[in-house]
Amino acid sequence: MNWTNRFTAPIGSKFAAAAFLLVAALAIPAVANTSLTAIYQQQSIRFTHLESYGNDTAIGVDDPGFATLLRESGAVLTWKPGERYVLITTDVPVVVSFSIGDRRYDVGPISLQASFAPYQRGNEAYLPFNEVLHALDLALRQDGAVAVVQPQLASLDVRNEGDRVTLLAHGGAPIHPRIVQQSGAAVTYEFDGVGTTLTGTRPIGAGGVRSVTIAQSGTARDPKALVTVQLMPGAAPAAPQQTDDRDVLLGFTGSGAPAAPIVAEQSPTPMPPAQGPPVSSTAPSVAAAPAGNPSAATTVTGVTVQRVAGGVSVTIAIAGNATFEWHRLREPDNRFWVDIQGAQLQGPPIEQNEPSPLLSMRVRQDDPTTVRVALSLSGPKSIEVSPSNNALDVEVGDNDVADVPRSGSGSVGSVVAVSEPNAAFVTPAPSDEYAEPQNSQDTTWKFGPRDQNAPQYVPTNPRLIVIDPGHGGSDRGTIHGGVEEAVLTLDMARRLRDILISRGWQVKMTRDADVDVYAPNADAHQELQARADVANNAGARLFLSIHVNAYINAGPYGTTCYISKAEDVAFARILETHLAADGTKDDGVIKSHLYVTLHTRMPAALVETAFLSNPSDYALLTSAAWRQKVAQEMADAIGQYTQEYPVPNQPAQ
Amino acid sequence: MLLVIVAAGTWYYLSHRGAGAGATLPVYFTKLDGKTLGDLSVSLRPPQPGESAAEHLHNTVLYAAVQAVAGPPDDVQAVRFPSGTRVLGVSVDGSTATVDLSKEIERQAGGSFGENGEFKGLVYTVTGVPGISAVQVTIEGEKLQTLPGGHLELDQPLHRSDW
Repeated sequence: MNWTNRFTAPIGSKFAAAAFLLVAALAIPAVANTSLTAIYQQQSIRFTHLESYGNDTAIGVDDPGFATLLRESGAVLTWKPGERYVLITTDVPVVVSFSIGDRRYDVGPISLQASFAPYQRGNEAYLPFNEVLHALDLALRQDGAVAVVQPQLASLDVRNEGDRVTLLAHGGAPIHPRIVQQSGAAVTYEFDGVGTTLTGTRPIGAGGVRSVTIAQSGTARDPKALVTVQLMPGAAPAAPQQTDDRDVLLGFTGSGAPAAPIVAEQSPTPMPPAQGPPVSSTAPSVAAAPAGNPSAATTVTGVTVQRVAGGVSVTIAIAGNATFEWHRLREPDNRFWVDIQGAQLQGPPIEQNEPSPLLSMRVRQDDPTTVRVALSLSGPKSIEVSPSNNALDVEVGDNDVADVPRSGSGSVGSVVAVSEPNAAFVTPAPSDEYAEPQNSQDTTWKFGPRDQNAPQYVPTNPRLIVIDPGHGGSDRGTIHGGVEEAVLTLDMARRLRDILISRGWQVKMTRDADVDVYAPNADAHQELQARADVANNAGARLFLSIHVNAYINAGPYGTTCYISKAEDVAFARILETHLAADGTKDDGVIKSHLYVTLHTRMPAALVETAFLSNPSDYALLTSAAWRQKVAQEMADAIGQYTQEYPVPNQPAQ
Repeated sequence: MLLVIVAAGTWYYLSHRGAGAGATLPVYFTKLDGKTLGDLSVSLRPPQPGESAAEHLHNTVLYAAVQAVAGPPDDVQAVRFPSGTRVLGVSVDGSTATVDLSKEIERQAGGSFGENGEFKGLVYTVTGVPGISAVQVTIEGEKLQTLPGGHLELDQPLHRSDW
């Protein structure tokens, strides 16, 4: 059984009335220019494009200090005067989208409500500073008289995979935990340099982990987040695993005994106030929106889960009128949540594991006027949301379903509105229309109009094969460990040429030395067109371009045949069949918009033989025996193709 | 004055609450097999007061392009644009969107794998915006036939059918 549970910091209020939205959009902000100097990662940053906006602060996108902060935190801002969206791509990466005149803003797939709407003054957009900092996993704190932009331990995802639990910690700065205390019953990790508002204790009850407690220590300028994991007897922690600078995986394995079911904690550890007082007095306030408690008469009085035919029913008992909005994420992140707006939670929050098709359920006061019920599902289950006079029923089916609505809204209480999925346009799933064909006779690949009307190609020299060793001369191709693609491709091409000639074929190489085909340092178009011209001008039977693949990390490996035209398919399929035995993974045939396969008139393929960036493929590529084997397989494929697809009688036009 | 604004707001809300509410955009990315697409869903805003249809399309295309270049969160396995690649701007002419990328796009690892996966995700995402069927890529404002040392032809608009 797998489930996930996420510790994240709540932010802002949600879904205020639309009239207020418009007022916020139209209102001319009463602002006062100000500035602020703050410490961020041992450097002093001066923000000069700040404006007080009521109790909040707006930051101008042209603020030099803001530009420094974005750069240092690995974020990029996209906006031009007159554009509606102000987009910040974070280091995660997640796109944070603000919109001029709209309090709603999105952090990836999650919609949130800012304390005020971004606005444009002159040629500069101003954003709610507090929300921007939060989206960057930062927070403004006060250290005596000094303001500090403090990186945060922003989230801690708990994942249960059978008898193993992993905690994925994400920080607003590089995090490198060290164990500061360990016994058979508990282990404490210290994350130096990050503060957190996630403080409190969460029960886990699985994978050898009883509970997780997050606390903070240190100072505003030198913060530390402490994560203490209470262990079950026999449980053992694994060494922290750094997945990248800002993400660390903490793993735990249970003793093998089944975990005791967890009953909802009656009173989780209350959240202490955020570290350090909010900035005030001389500096503009960037404190969180005041946690006012509107006199909402509506209450969520309880949540019950019961088994029903075909699934489980989650009944949210509601006294009074309320609106609700629900969302679900796509597989593999099978989470669902519904926000009961304008409501108060009666009683303590709930956090507990649940039987399938649920994994867990959380109920909490998400903001002063919203109660959130969040469900983790064991798969992409069917969900029906049904409001009534005094409850909202969420029925989760046992069966997996495809293509389900992902959001909806309605109201509950004396005036019940039927819950309907929100209108959405969704582009049809690409897998059907553009799916890879299952065999060479299959034509499910779509080919563009440029190809559909092309006359059938008939080679003027049906015994000629053109081989194109990729790159060469001034273009070395990819390079790893001193090994160059340009050298490898020429070597394999020469081997293939020799085999083909021995079998009676004529062969023309686009290059037979380590040179450019067009001219040194020509642009790629000239270079690639020159290679296509060799084959087109010679009226060749086939064109085969030999390359070596690479990626920015060592993960991908395998052999791929790229094509572009309808007439390439059969040749590439046969090539793939033969190359599948070359010792690395067969990645199949991929249709793409590659220059040389597009601009050659005859059946053509570009073979990316293996990845120089992958250690096992690297070992193959640097083996002469393997390169000979690949050449042999290519020659065999050419032999088979030319036998199965004889040349038409008509000469080339 | 405040009453007028509130009344206008109420009218606007009542007349627009159905249209476009909850509209979403699939953001496509190419998985590490180099060919299969995955997608994440992000929400789109409906046209706002004072925003013309052309402006709304421009803004939506910009949002789609930035999302595609950012790619999914880093715990999702995906073919990614070279680090630092940014969307400098977009424009729309008929059903073709031009997406101007920063020069960091040229920092390819080599090989067809990255180029193919990156542009496939970008084109699928941007052509997911209603009214857009093709994407012309420019780099720092210039149309290039291919990336330096590259493999994909880029001087023509790209369509989903190119994959």
